[in-house]
Amino acid sequence: MKMKTVQAIVLMAVATILFQCKSASEVEPDDENELITTVLLKFTETGTSTTTTVTYRDIDGDGGNPPTRFDQVVLKSNTAYALVVEVLDESKNPAIDITGEIKEKADEHLFIFTPNPSSLLTYTYGDKDARNLPLGLTGVVNTAAAGVGMLKVQLRHQPAINGSPVKDGTSGPGSDDVNIDFSVEVK
Amino acid sequence: MYHKVLIACILAAVGCLPIRDLQAQTPDCHCFIKGVVRDDHTGQPVVGATLLLVGSNKGVFTDEKGRYQFYNLCPGSYQLECRIVGYQPRRQTIDLQEGHEENFALAEEEIHLKDVEITAQRNDAPITQPINTLSGADLTQTRGQSLGESLKGLTGLTTLQTGASVAKPVIHGMHSNRVLIMNNGVRQEGQQWGSEHAPEIDPFVATRLSVVKGAAGVRYGSDAIGGVILVDPQELPIDKLLSGEINTAFFSNGRQGVGSATLQGGIKGVTGLGWRAQGTLKRGGNIRTPGYFLNNTGSEERNFSLATGYRKRGFGAELFYSHFATKLGIFSGSHIGSVTDLLTVIERGEPLIKSGFSYTIGRPYQNVTHDLVKAEAHYHFADGNRLQWVSSWQFNNRFEYDLHQPRNDSLASLNRPELSFRLTTFTNDFIWDHKPLKGKIAGQIGLSTLYQYNLMSGRPLIPNFDQWNVGLFAIERLLKNGWEVEAGLRYDYRYLTTYRIVNRVKVTDEFRFHNASGTLGVGRNLTSKWSLRLNAGTAWRAPNVSELFSDGVHHGAAAFEEGDASLKPEKAFNSIGSVRYSVENLTVEVGGYYNYIRDYIYLKPQPEPILTVRGAFPYFKYTQTDATFRGIDATVDWKLSGRWSVGSKLTYLRVSDVRNNSYLVMIPANRWDNQLKLNLDDLNWGEKMYFLISNRWVGEQRRVPKASDFAPPPTAYSLWNVQWGATFAMAKERKLELTLTADNVLNTSYRDYLNRFRYYADDMGRTISLRARFSFGS
Repeated sequence: MKMKTVQAIVLMAVATILFQCKSASEVEPDDENELITTVLLKFTETGTSTTTTVTYRDIDGDGGNPPTRFDQVVLKSNTAYALVVEVLDESKNPAIDITGEIKEKADEHLFIFTPNPSSLLTYTYGDKDARNLPLGLTGVVNTAAAGVGMLKVQLRHQPAINGSPVKDGTSGPGSDDVNIDFSVEVK
Repeated sequence: MYHKVLIACILAAVGCLPIRDLQAQTPDCHCFIKGVVRDDHTGQPVVGATLLLVGSNKGVFTDEKGRYQFYNLCPGSYQLECRIVGYQPRRQTIDLQEGHEENFALAEEEIHLKDVEITAQRNDAPITQPINTLSGADLTQTRGQSLGESLKGLTGLTTLQTGASVAKPVIHGMHSNRVLIMNNGVRQEGQQWGSEHAPEIDPFVATRLSVVKGAAGVRYGSDAIGGVILVDPQELPIDKLLSGEINTAFFSNGRQGVGSATLQGGIKGVTGLGWRAQGTLKRGGNIRTPGYFLNNTGSEERNFSLATGYRKRGFGAELFYSHFATKLGIFSGSHIGSVTDLLTVIERGEPLIKSGFSYTIGRPYQNVTHDLVKAEAHYHFADGNRLQWVSSWQFNNRFEYDLHQPRNDSLASLNRPELSFRLTTFTNDFIWDHKPLKGKIAGQIGLSTLYQYNLMSGRPLIPNFDQWNVGLFAIERLLKNGWEVEAGLRYDYRYLTTYRIVNRVKVTDEFRFHNASGTLGVGRNLTSKWSLRLNAGTAWRAPNVSELFSDGVHHGAAAFEEGDASLKPEKAFNSIGSVRYSVENLTVEVGGYYNYIRDYIYLKPQPEPILTVRGAFPYFKYTQTDATFRGIDATVDWKLSGRWSVGSKLTYLRVSDVRNNSYLVMIPANRWDNQLKLNLDDLNWGEKMYFLISNRWVGEQRRVPKASDFAPPPTAYSLWNVQWGATFAMAKERKLELTLTADNVLNTSYRDYLNRFRYYADDMGRTISLRARFSFGS
């Protein structure tokens, strides 16, 4: 009986160790999903063809390294500018232009431009979606007197819920995909 | 490893031999209790089992043939406690008749013989730690709910919720990786680090849910810091007739229907075999708060399990397979993009979009499956030694689908999950129960091994990894003079390798963790009324991959969380004591604990926020501190009269961050449950019936650190519930149990601090549930 006990123990111990198969080797970790890494604000003074591009760029997405570029908006006072917004995913090679996708799904997106103080400048939408609600990829900025402040640029993603659209032209529905506070100087 | 053995203490004879002296007024003490203790499993006698007459100093051991006897007892009522070392003790009341005095010269056969079968189900839980069990009627009343929800009513326990469909059990304020769940004797391995990841276990697999409170690291290994939850099915019905049960439940809130059936039996003509088949279906729709529906909070589940076992003399083997699959809708109003979003939601106080009722589950949702295969074999030697080998394979697949699909249509049409984890785990446990030494000391020595690898795709929340764990432990238990002493030691070693892509380069990191744990406990029945248990033990927990490598925004929490690869394992020193006072009409049980966790890992807010394209997020880093968890669990059961009874349960917890002289976040508030029950056991048409009214009061958590949260903990609340239950015994051992419950009967609006949806919406409103359980066969 004793010998059998010992034999049984040895057998089970061996099997215990043998069973740990290390066959699962390393697998190439996948790349990330779609990201928004870059937001470009292109200001063109009306009547001219000079375009100033203000860039926010954070190539590796959230975390990792801080944004590599975060420009300041510098504008002339009492001037009108055409504002065109571009959104890119530069973490992929080649970079993905998300602006076109936003335009295609205009009835799910809304850009909101909020100056602080509110007297610093005003924004007027230049485009609409199929339901006659604003989008914000193009618009006009009118600066007032000289001053400094912030311009919050939000991209609200407002997809339909249960088949009914929720976009109503306000910031209420949906959630932020972009929410950047650019510092502004009006000279 | 857990293994189930039914031990039957069979009392062969109980009675009182009459004496010839009829004139004596004092009762003559010539009664006896004697019998044989047999292993129900193998039929072999159990050597060294202890039988105690509670309250007296009489205790005897079974001899080499399993026989025991008590002689010269006075007539009366005794509590006989059968304790086989390593088993949960079981008490039985024996009434020694004194009515035979008038008959003398009775032959032994005419003496009142009573076969009293005491069955003790083996449980490897430390015997000196408090253990709460839900089984029988108590378990039936919780049927249809998730595992976390089912255990909520026990003292010391609560849940960490993500809405109503995701509930994680919390023991003494600890959850996730600090609570271990043993699913049919196997460590449940899923992505437990996630606070929104509920345990992937179907409670219908079990006929018994037990909670071991306190550090149980020696027996169970890493992660058993707060406690261990044991999910145990019944012993397989070897050679038994066909039996089974059908459970149905309907819940008005969410219009959820649950159905579960179990069928089991032996195989005619083949001795030594038994099998069981079980399956559960669940489907529910949008949950409703007192004011509005929560959009996309439906859920569905499809689970089944199969088991078969064989026994012949000392040998036994078992094979078990379970499949768990769930699809859980996540409240769409909980998706927020930025801090601005969250603050707007908190200020608004309720969701912007108020939907109606629907069963449809859309994005965002979780799709989780868990497959478990368990193989077990054991052998009892005639000399009392026992060997056991348990092997398991688990596959946990978790897919999480965000609210927003990719904008790119061709990508979106693939309908890929934004997060996908596949976790594969192999475990092997080898346990040797050595034969009792001197009939008093029993114990076990065990070797546990685990190999696991994780493959992820999508957002790199945690990396790919593989790990190898080995643990060696020894536990000895001694019974002497009514004292029970338990001591144990364990050594664990973990080797973890992670694989990540950082800036397009593959990075490999290696970690080696090791730890020694110990436990020492005593238990004593002081008198027939008082009993005492004390335990001091240690447990440990290696940092999980989320704590090591998080690097991103946790959307649900609007926080940027960063891990720290230099984190050390947590080590807990726990002392827990419980005192029990039990008389005929009153039972009071008070347990107190002091748990000191060195190098406790938590998220510490950093002074500067992190800037992302969605704005600034508060920045939290995983850091270590020293924490204390102190508390009291108290239960009172008082039978006022034949029909009326009152119950009260108190859970009190005080947690401190001692290194920083501060508090910790997400610690449950104190709670107090009270109930009044009317038992009607003597009606004509219902075998047993009861009415119950209960109240749960939950306090406001004031012990929170500053600057750690967007909204303060919610105020205290009180919920009322009423319940009616009836059991109908039918012919041929069939039984029907009905339970009708109204939870939150007053439709109170409330929010719970440990519900992560408290920022967005109220908790569940009134729910009326009807449960039916039909069982047949033995």
